[in-house]
Amino acid sequence: MRKEVIGPSQLFAMIVLFELGTALVVPIGLKSGHAVWLSILMALPGGVLLYLIYYDLYRQFPELIMSGYTQKILGKAIGWPLSLLYIPVLMFNGSRNLREAGDLLISSTYDRTPILVINAIMVIAVMYILNKGIEVFARTAEIYFWIIMIMGLVCNFIVIAAGLVDVKHLFPLQADDWWDALSSAYPSIWIFPFGELVCMTTVLPHFNKPRKAKRAGVMAVILSGLLLTFTHAIEISVLGENIYSRAAFPIYTTITLVNVANFIQRLDALVILTLIIGVFFKMSIYCYAATVITADLFKVQDYRKLVVPVGVIVLFSSFMSAENYTSHLNEGRAFLKYILPLLCAVIPILLFLVHHVRKRFGWYR
Amino acid sequence: MKVKMRGCLIAYLGLALSLTGCWNSRELNELAIVSGIGIDQGTKPGEYKVTFQVVIPSATATSQGANSGASPITIYTSNDHTVFGALRKTSKQASRQLFFAHTQLLVLGESIAKSGISGVLDIFERSHELRLNTAVLISRDTSAASILKVFTPQESIPSIGLSKKIQNTSNVWGENQRVDVFELINKMTGEGGFTVSGLRMIGNVEAGKKKSNLEQSDVETTITMGGQAVFKKGKLVTWIDGPEARGTDWILNKIIETNVDIDAGEQKKAVAVNVLLSRTGVKVELREGIPVFHVNVSEEGNINETKSSVDLSNTEEIIKLEEAMEKLTKAEIEQAFQAAQQTGVDYLNFGNELKRTHPNAWRTVENEWDQIFAKGTLDLKVEAYIRGTGMRLAPFMSPEK
Repeated sequence: MRKEVIGPSQLFAMIVLFELGTALVVPIGLKSGHAVWLSILMALPGGVLLYLIYYDLYRQFPELIMSGYTQKILGKAIGWPLSLLYIPVLMFNGSRNLREAGDLLISSTYDRTPILVINAIMVIAVMYILNKGIEVFARTAEIYFWIIMIMGLVCNFIVIAAGLVDVKHLFPLQADDWWDALSSAYPSIWIFPFGELVCMTTVLPHFNKPRKAKRAGVMAVILSGLLLTFTHAIEISVLGENIYSRAAFPIYTTITLVNVANFIQRLDALVILTLIIGVFFKMSIYCYAATVITADLFKVQDYRKLVVPVGVIVLFSSFMSAENYTSHLNEGRAFLKYILPLLCAVIPILLFLVHHVRKRFGWYR
Repeated sequence: MKVKMRGCLIAYLGLALSLTGCWNSRELNELAIVSGIGIDQGTKPGEYKVTFQVVIPSATATSQGANSGASPITIYTSNDHTVFGALRKTSKQASRQLFFAHTQLLVLGESIAKSGISGVLDIFERSHELRLNTAVLISRDTSAASILKVFTPQESIPSIGLSKKIQNTSNVWGENQRVDVFELINKMTGEGGFTVSGLRMIGNVEAGKKKSNLEQSDVETTITMGGQAVFKKGKLVTWIDGPEARGTDWILNKIIETNVDIDAGEQKKAVAVNVLLSRTGVKVELREGIPVFHVNVSEEGNINETKSSVDLSNTEEIIKLEEAMEKLTKAEIEQAFQAAQQTGVDYLNFGNELKRTHPNAWRTVENEWDQIFAKGTLDLKVEAYIRGTGMRLAPFMSPEK
C-alpha cells in the first residue's frame, strides 16, 4: 500500500481547524473575567513551545507515531502501558467535543431531536472520512480552512459593523486582572486548546517535507491563537463579562444580537456551521489518533478496521458520560485539571527530556 | 456482485427516506406567531399574568386587514407562577402552538415593575426562540395587558407599531431610549439603578381594543411614550419625564438626535437647533470619599428654525447662540442629575464607571453607594457647536416691524 502523505498547507489547515474546533464556541478560561483574551495571548507562547516539543520528538523518530517512540524511549515495559493510557483519554476527549456540538445544536435549534440522532450523524461522517484515509482528510481540511476563514471574517465584520462592540468591556486592565489572566492561562488554556495538539503527533509521520513541519505548525498555532483571542475579545466586548461568563455558548448569543437595518439578522446558522465543521475536524483527529495508537499497540495491520469500533465507542460515551450539560462541564473541569495536563504536557516533556539525556550519554543500544 | 449492488441500492433508498424531513419540523400554518408579550402581577401572590399578542396572518396579509373585517391580532392571557408555565397553559385557549422567534415587544406592567422584574427575564436569555433584542417597555398607570390590546394606526400589528415608536422617538427626540432585553439584563447585573422607557395610554382600553377605533382620523385611544421608569434593585421606584429624562440620556450618552429651543438674546426659546451629534464622556473619581463626576458633553447641531430677528449671517451671533445652547444643555443635565440625587438611585451609570476604572476605590464605597452618590458633585462641561443654518442665513423681516 502506498504511504499516505500530507503537505505543509494541509498540515497548517488541519492544525488551525483542530485548534478552533470547540475552543471558538465554548467559554474558556473563566477565572480571568474580562481579560480572557489576554490569557489566550499569554498561553500562546506555551502552546508554541509545546508544539516544538512534539515537533522535536517527530524529527527524532520521523517514521513513528507517539506510541512507537514512547516505547523506544522508555522501553517497552513502561512505554506500552503508558501509550495504552492515551487511547481512552483521546476517545473520551473526542466524545466530549461531540457532546458539546450535540448540545449546542439541541439547545439552539433541534430541541426535540434526540442527541443520539444528531451525534450519530456526525460520527458517521467522521467514520466515513477516516475510512478514506488521512490524505483525503487532509485535503478536506484544506478546503474547509478557507470556508471557516471566510465565515469567520463575515461574522466578525458584521458584528463590528452592527455597532455591538463596546471596547469598554475589555479595558482597563488592573494588576489583579493580569494575575487572573496568567493563572487561567496556565495550565487551563495552555492545555485546552493548545495542549490538545498532542494528537498531531500521530499525523506528523505522514508529513512529506519534514523540514517544513516546524514552520507550518508554528504558524498554524500562532494564527489559531490570534483568531481565538480576537473572537473571544469580540464576544466579551459585545456581551459584557456577566453574560459571557453565564452563557453556555457565548458566540451563539453574540451572533443572535446582530441586527443591521432590520435586514442582516439571524445569522445563527453561520455559528452552527462553524461549530459543526470545527467539531468534525477535531473529533476526526481525535478518533484518528486513538485508532492508529490502538493499531500500533495491538499490531493491527490496517487501522481502518478499527475506525468503526472507535467511532461507536465515541458516539456512545458522548452521551453516556454525563447525564446533563452541567455535569458534562463539571467533568470537563476535573478532566482538564488532572488528566489532560499529564498526557498533553507532562508525558511529552518527559519523553523529550529522557530522549535527549539518553542520546547525550549514548544510552541507546 | 449483483446481489451486493442490489443490497446497496436498497440501503441507499432507505437512507434517502430519512433525508426528506426534519425531526423538529414545525410548519408555518401550525404556528401562532407571537408579536408581543405583556407581563403583569397575577391575581395570586407570586403569580404572573402573561398576555400574548398573536398575529393572525390571514387578516394582516391584505392591506391593513381593514377590508376583511377580522382583527389582525388576538390576545391570550394566562396566569401561572412562571412565564413558561403561562406560555404552555395558553395552549388551552390557542389552536396553534405559540411561536416566539418574531416577538417584537415585551411590556412589563407597572404592577410587576413595582414588585420586581428580576424573575421574568430569565426565559428570554435561556430560550432559543425568544430573542435578546426584543424591545422592553414599562406600562405606566395601566396594565401591560391593556397596552397590548389597543390597536395602533399605521401599523396593523400593534407590537410592531410600539417597537417602531420607541425606536423613532429615541432616534430623533431623546427623552426615551430603546432598551432591549439584552441591555436590560446587562443593566440589572451592573451596579446602581437603571431606567427603562415607559408607555402611556390615552383614552380607555374598551374603545382601543375595537378595530372601529381606527375608523376615525383622530383615534379615541392611543399609546404614547411616557417618560422613563427608574429602577432600583429591579424594582420601580419613580418616573422621570421631560428635561429630566432627556438630561439622563445625555449623561448616558444615548442622545442620537434631538431638538433644543434656545434663547436668542432677549427672546426666550426662539431658535430651534437640531442636535445631530452628541458625545458624552464620563469620568468618576473619589476625593476623600466624596465622588466627583466629570461629565464632558460635546454636541453639534444645525439651526432649523428661528422666530427671532437674530442675524444668523453674523459669526458673533452664532457664537452667542452656541453659548445659549451650552447653557440650556447644562441646565437640563444638572436638573437630571439633581433628580437622580434626590431619588437616591444611581441610574446614571456612575457606579459602574467607578467600578470599571477604579475597582479598589469602588470596594470602599460599594456598600453605601446610594448615599455616597447622593452627596457627589457634578463637574459638567458642555461644548456646543452650530454647524449650519439651513437654506437661509438671515431670517426675513415682516414689513410692519
